[in-house]
Amino acid sequence: MEETKSGKSKTIIEVIDSGPLKITGNIVLKDFKRDKEIPMGEVLLCRCGKSSDKPFCDGSHKNK
Amino acid sequence: MSRDQSFSGGRKYSNDEITVYWKPSACIHASYCYRELLEVFDPGRRPWVDMKGASTEKIIETVNMCPTEALTWKWNEEAKNQPVGSDQSNHIRFRRPELLAQDANAPEENPVTIKIMNDGPIVLKGDFSLAYSGINKDFREAIVSICRCGASEHQPFCDGQHRKIGFIG
Ligand code: SF4
Ligand code: FES
Ligand code: FES
Repeated sequence: MEETKSGKSKTIIEVIDSGPLKITGNIVLKDFKRDKEIPMGEVLLCRCGKSSDKPFCDGSHKNK
Repeated sequence: MSRDQSFSGGRKYSNDEITVYWKPSACIHASYCYRELLEVFDPGRRPWVDMKGASTEKIIETVNMCPTEALTWKWNEEAKNQPVGSDQSNHIRFRRPELLAQDANAPEENPVTIKIMNDGPIVLKGDFSLAYSGINKDFREAIVSICRCGASEHQPFCDGQHRKIGFIG
């Protein structure tokens, strides 16, 4: 595990209009389906239900 | 023996080994509990929790899947209730006044947990700021469910529509 603590960690979660959920910060993503824990700094999660790479956004939200 | 009793904020249900607590106000109807274990959690039945419906082990497993704090559990034998790591939030946490004061000057933010529920929402938990439709809100020790199926009528939040549309993913 990496320790990149620069003072106070802050997680910023942004709902992008008609697009994914953008999460920036110190994150542990728990995927129950794949039984995985993924630490990451930024992630785009699909909100439209159409991505073929769920839970991640793959840009499919742009196709009408 | 199965009992149905109330506690402040909800109801509790016991078998010989454990007690399950249900807080209706925290329930987002993500339906995890009854999709997994209808023998125990059946919203169409009164009382809706039947502790005789499955083994203690299976009940614990299902309660731990609840994305919110709506369902929690505890061993009846107090000595067995050891804290088991910060992520075991589904063990009911008692907050006595003296502990609340400690919480207040805790220097660290809660780590944020993001759970992807099977065929359901994204569940955000911890301290974070959330920006949506021009609003920017700070959350502390919060649990927020974000719709993943695209069908919620209360975007960006999950309102249970994923079940109606049969969302898979
Ligand atoms: S899993 Fe939790 S939130 Fe979902 S319906 Fe059951 S109690 Fe409510
Ligand atoms: S939000 Fe981008 S693919 Fe669904
Ligand atoms: S994921 Fe629950 S309403 Fe869309």
